[in-house]
Amino acid sequence: MTLSKLSLRNARRQTRDYMVYFVTIVLAASLIYAFNGLIFSREILELSGVMSELPLIVVLASIVVLCILAWLVHYTIDFLFSRRSRELGTYILMGLENRQVSLLFFLENLAVGGCALLLGLPLGGLMFQVLRAVILTLFGLPYHFTLALSLNPLLLTLLSFVLIYLLAQLRSRKKLHNMKICDLIYYERQNEKEIISKSSKRQFLFTLSGICGILGTLLLLAGNFLLGVLGSACIITFLYGFFISFSSAVPAWFAKHPRQKYKGQNLLVFRILTSKLASMGILLATISLLLTAVLITEGTGLTFHAIARNRARLTSCFDLLVSFSGQEEGLFTDYLQDIQDQVPVTMSHTYEIYLGETGQLSDYVEDKIRFYQYYSADPVMKYSDYAFLRAMLGYPAVSLEPGHYLIHCEPHLKRLMDQYTLPIELGGYILEPGGVYNEIFHQDSSDTNGNSFLLVMPDEAVTAAPASHKLYAAMTAQPLEEAQYAALDPGNLPVDSGLWMRSKAQTLEDAASQTALFVLPLFYLALVLIMTAATILTIQQLSETNRYRSQFLLLEKLGMDRKEMNRALRLQFAIYYAMPAVPPVLIGSIFLLYLGNGVEPGTLTGASHPLALLGLSLGLFFLIYGVYITMAYSSLKRNVLPL
Amino acid sequence: MLQVQNIEKYYGSQNQVTKALDRVSFSVEEGTFLSIMGASGSGKTTLLNCISTIDTVSAGKILLDGTDLAELPQEELARFRRERLGFVFQDFNLLDTLTIEENIGLALSLNHWDPGAVHRQVAQAARQLEITDILEKFPYQVSGGQKQRAACARAMVAGQSLLLADEPTGALDSKASKSLLELMSRMNRELGTTILMVTHDAYSASFSSRILFLKDGRIFNELIRGERTRAVFYHEILDVLALLGGDISDVI
Repeated sequence: MTLSKLSLRNARRQTRDYMVYFVTIVLAASLIYAFNGLIFSREILELSGVMSELPLIVVLASIVVLCILAWLVHYTIDFLFSRRSRELGTYILMGLENRQVSLLFFLENLAVGGCALLLGLPLGGLMFQVLRAVILTLFGLPYHFTLALSLNPLLLTLLSFVLIYLLAQLRSRKKLHNMKICDLIYYERQNEKEIISKSSKRQFLFTLSGICGILGTLLLLAGNFLLGVLGSACIITFLYGFFISFSSAVPAWFAKHPRQKYKGQNLLVFRILTSKLASMGILLATISLLLTAVLITEGTGLTFHAIARNRARLTSCFDLLVSFSGQEEGLFTDYLQDIQDQVPVTMSHTYEIYLGETGQLSDYVEDKIRFYQYYSADPVMKYSDYAFLRAMLGYPAVSLEPGHYLIHCEPHLKRLMDQYTLPIELGGYILEPGGVYNEIFHQDSSDTNGNSFLLVMPDEAVTAAPASHKLYAAMTAQPLEEAQYAALDPGNLPVDSGLWMRSKAQTLEDAASQTALFVLPLFYLALVLIMTAATILTIQQLSETNRYRSQFLLLEKLGMDRKEMNRALRLQFAIYYAMPAVPPVLIGSIFLLYLGNGVEPGTLTGASHPLALLGLSLGLFFLIYGVYITMAYSSLKRNVLPL
Repeated sequence: MLQVQNIEKYYGSQNQVTKALDRVSFSVEEGTFLSIMGASGSGKTTLLNCISTIDTVSAGKILLDGTDLAELPQEELARFRRERLGFVFQDFNLLDTLTIEENIGLALSLNHWDPGAVHRQVAQAARQLEITDILEKFPYQVSGGQKQRAACARAMVAGQSLLLADEPTGALDSKASKSLLELMSRMNRELGTTILMVTHDAYSASFSSRILFLKDGRIFNELIRGERTRAVFYHEILDVLALLGGDISDVI
């Protein structure tokens, strides 16, 4: 049998035995291809000006992805090497040279990688179409499915894989060259060493890591950035300390609580676990860190997306909104003339936002919720302007009874404003509350229609009030094109001109660009990270299949009930996968809530509430993690406890 | 205690059937130390597997204290194994993730003993089998002889009435083998444990009180030690093995 045939046969066996690894490499290849496709897609890059930044961001994300993937490939090849060292040693014993065995091992890994790449590329083509569809939909453009592999992304993906596998080959070749036949034959039998050999030291470390864990959680909960960094450091210390010392803590605990040891399946479950964890403490802590990165990356992506989408929703009711708070009145009128000349305006209105006599409503809001006061007093709008703007936006007309005022606020303030019953004085009129409205009204800063809310007052009461700024709102026959926006962009004027303009089309486009530029690459990273972490956990778990099988066969002979065996296997399995996932859930949840609550109030509400986003992040996280767990469990169950 | 009635065991498919056991019948009284001897492929391990309920018979009955093992449902069989049977295997079959104490205690844990009583019971069994000083160690830290003693302790700690041993000295040196066989004899004599041991070693078999010889799946001969010394019994065993013919090199 030739070397290549032997390699192919071994590759087939490897693929069958480590299907999870193979599937992960296939998916990784398809993801790399799909994102490489974005780099070379003119259609995507020309969607907006800022989209030209996409290649840089994708390349940066891809570098991280390739490093992670290289680690996974290296780890798996190293793992297979230790498992098959006896077989490799036997080849050398039979007369093959180290060089030939190294080539044989490389060829079979290359065959696995090559097959994964071959399967991954068409899948990547599909994935690219999905990404393309998502991005075009974000920009509100029509999408037509076209399946074709492009040369440039294909070559880039191929190059990435060649680099990863060559690096892995160099390492395993070096390792093989430095080993004698007897080293190879007995490599598998070597006892795996614990990082800290003395049990008492490990128990001390366990206690210390527990303290670090509690301290880290408290610091993270403090909600301060610096304390949060300190807290994260404590949590990382806890992770490594906990996983390195866990194997000693369990026997020590059992020694103190002998009754618990023989209760139910405790003895079996925890002894199987500790024997597994004794030699993979550092690895588990690293996987736990990877999973933390997954949750943070994925949750940050979801939060950014929600922020971009909601901000766009809250600020895109008018097709065009121009604000002027400068001194040179002529600048404003000239600018409006330019708009009239260049944009097909169907309806428009120029009006002013005034300042009330007090900031009593702002103070009321600030007392109740986190609120940034941009104005020195409550912002006010004339009822006549308000009624016109409502009509322009197609909102139902509202009436203002004499002696009353209205409040128009962002949706998240509605309940709070409904509870406000105090009169407000302006221009000698004492006005009573007359109603609260919360349609989208572009109320996000000091130079729009108020900051989260404004008061609508009778025109006669406002006449003497000082103006805060002028506004021009317009509806257009068609959305403003990027070139028109660029031509009108007041960013070309001096900074102190006080002129500011937003178009609905540009706002939606910016939100779409932000999502495409930051959110998709973040998901890309999160996906590869979780696939890598779950694959390594699964490889470790499935590598013990034979040992578990013989253990459970013995237990069956000893009369252990099948239901109990199932329960013990399930419990051991559940704890094994839960342990590295618990710290990420804790750290990730705190981080994401902190991130979500740091955003301007009212941006993340309803389905985008920080808690809802956290739930979605955790749901996605456990969905992917769960797929790997299910694959691993069904394989383990099938081999260890067949029906 | 144990009655084996005309059992048969076939392996293979319709075209290629192998008869592993052919109308084997015998009975075992309580407190007997019975050895089953035979060459490789004679059916002795198959017989032990059928008695231990790990395997099922193709025909015939195995009764333990009047209960037909074939009629017991899976759950009852599991209970039967953990409460009534103790196993000692050639390769010890101790769980390498548990200490010696935990390996022995496992048998009690499986029997749902009160967790508080487990430690006491294990300590008592360890004293009887002289392995108290290795209780805290893991299987890889002790010798083969000590592992097999631990396996014996596990096989008797829960008060199992029938100890089934499959080539228990197969992986031991001569000194450890002798020590283990003496221990098993003592368990049989002093604790009244009924032992059924499969072996192809005449020396090991000479420690038992009765021997069944299997050839080609059938009982070929039977020896009962009676009042004879072990040395005399050993020579009688060799004589019977000589009668087994061409297979003699396999069985001594």
